[in-house]
Amino acid sequence: MVSAKVRLTNSMGLHLRPAQLFIREVTPYGCDVTITYNGRVINAKSIMNLLSACIKQGSEIEIKCNGENEEECLKAALALIESGLGE
Amino acid sequence: MLYGVGASAGIGIGKILCIQEQNLDYTAVEYQGAKAESARLKAAADAFCEITERMAQDVRERIGQKESEILMGQVMMLQDPLVTEQMEEMIAAGSCAEAALDTICQGYIELFSNLDDELMQQRAADIQDMRTRMLQLLLHAQSIDLTLAPKGTVVAAKDLTPSMTVGLKKENISAIVTQVGGKTSHAAILARALEIPAVLGVANLFEQIENGQTAIIDGGKGEVLVCPDEKTLGEYTKQQQEQWRQKELLFIYRDKQTQDADGRSYDLYANIGSVSEAQAALENGAEGIGLFRTEFLFMNRSSAPTEQEQFETYTAVSRIMQGKEVIIRTLDVGGDKEIAYLNMPKEQNPFLGWRAIRYCLEQTDVFKTQLRALLRASAVNGNVKIMLPLVTDVQEVRAAKALLEQCKQELKAQGIPYDEDISVGVMMETPAAALIADLLAKEADFFSIGTNDLTQYTMAADRGNAKIKGLYSTFHPAVLRSISHIIKAAKREGIPVGMCGEAAADPLLIPLLLAFGLDEFSVSVSSVLQTRKWISGWTQRQTEQIEREAMAFSTANEVEEYLMKHSVR
Repeated sequence: MVSAKVRLTNSMGLHLRPAQLFIREVTPYGCDVTITYNGRVINAKSIMNLLSACIKQGSEIEIKCNGENEEECLKAALALIESGLGE
Repeated sequence: MLYGVGASAGIGIGKILCIQEQNLDYTAVEYQGAKAESARLKAAADAFCEITERMAQDVRERIGQKESEILMGQVMMLQDPLVTEQMEEMIAAGSCAEAALDTICQGYIELFSNLDDELMQQRAADIQDMRTRMLQLLLHAQSIDLTLAPKGTVVAAKDLTPSMTVGLKKENISAIVTQVGGKTSHAAILARALEIPAVLGVANLFEQIENGQTAIIDGGKGEVLVCPDEKTLGEYTKQQQEQWRQKELLFIYRDKQTQDADGRSYDLYANIGSVSEAQAALENGAEGIGLFRTEFLFMNRSSAPTEQEQFETYTAVSRIMQGKEVIIRTLDVGGDKEIAYLNMPKEQNPFLGWRAIRYCLEQTDVFKTQLRALLRASAVNGNVKIMLPLVTDVQEVRAAKALLEQCKQELKAQGIPYDEDISVGVMMETPAAALIADLLAKEADFFSIGTNDLTQYTMAADRGNAKIKGLYSTFHPAVLRSISHIIKAAKREGIPVGMCGEAAADPLLIPLLLAFGLDEFSVSVSSVLQTRKWISGWTQRQTEQIEREAMAFSTANEVEEYLMKHSVR
């Protein structure tokens, strides 16, 4: 299992478009991906889970990847968030 | 007449197409075993994804990325591993595919509707749309296909779902009416993006309309007229055509420079009376503000606005205009504009009385507050100019400038920034000012001709008095000579000269004004583009000929008749 903390910088938080981008990015790696936000653990491959968490701009989240290609997956997820999630 | 929220401006006329909610009852569906139900669900889901991806593709090309992503979001929601797992669990436990889908979707609709985040609440509508369309597929029910709607359709629906956007084509859909939704709803944003007139949130909509009825939708006012009579229909059709014409002008002339047919450039500004009008001016292609009336700041209140309040208003307009010139007229009270707390005495002849600059030069506390606010605002973008109304005497300009100088010294002592070179101009609107234009031009940094008052004072005719309506005419040789004289005096002193009265947008007068050498035309926001078009039609040779011939007539009627024949084509 690998994990890292990161701050969400895009302007609207994790709304529909960034959530779609995030799921498309991490799904192909095969490992389980979770996001810990405000003490809640979210299945980061589920759009329903990700959206209903209402992750706001500027909040800190922890991404955990567990399983196949976990390191590559975490790296890709962090790079996407740091690039502003398509904004 | 039905009333709702005017969500997308414009007039739409057409025949109503009611989109009612379908009966998607599945209680009669029999459970055929987990394997069969699961297979049915999967087949429907595959079809759903294929159809929706096609829709998203079409919407991306026609409307935009954002709308397309909303549809792709539905695909992702249906393919969500958790959602799939939950539905499969229900099917395994004995639910048919429809029940599994419906129950799980309803759960998520409730979850999202109750989130404390407006953006996320909107996702409930996406899940609702997905649920309806999946049930249609599972039950082999007819889906709503707006792509087949004939030209001139007024869509009437409970709400506009994301999947309906596919069929919304401006060519066929004249207007949209819904029972729910407000100015910021998805339907409103979409209607505005597509420029389809829309009235949303009409209560009990379907009890008041029927399929096939003719309806007029006024998306600006939020009104729906069902089965209008011939006369009303004619009036709205005319209004609609005028709006289309304006739009066309907007399209052609908004980003063009203001030039005559020879390529000579002019400044085309707008007259405004509030901050919100500045935004409209910019959107309508105005190159600056030629007259910002400041009276509104002083009206409908019980005491004068503070320096800070005024500073914020002037700065707001200056910011909106993005560095383009903003000419602000100092307080023009008196005459027909009464303000109770300023304690102006009742006068026999208010139009010839203690008003405008005359008042300000005596009530120096009021005037200096405004001047300080103007000076402070001038530091922000460096695009603010001051204009003095109703000047009749050089001494008035000197006195105003002396007060301005005092204000500058005070600000300097306080370390507050201002534009040291702020321009001070004179509004040319009295016969006295016209006759001493050469003298005023030596003191002023610019002129702006106010034709409404100039005409009224030159002709000694109240423009509100019907009995002498005929005398109030800007075509009168006395008024035209005054205008010509003012412009020539400005030219001789090398200062710019503009016009901020209604005459600047009069197609009959534009060739004359061009020939006189006017530099700047300041017109109402709605006339900017039309004026740009009119200016673009004239060559110098043509306007000089019109000047020669028109100025040779003796009466206002003769001039007007001549210009009617030669100015408009």
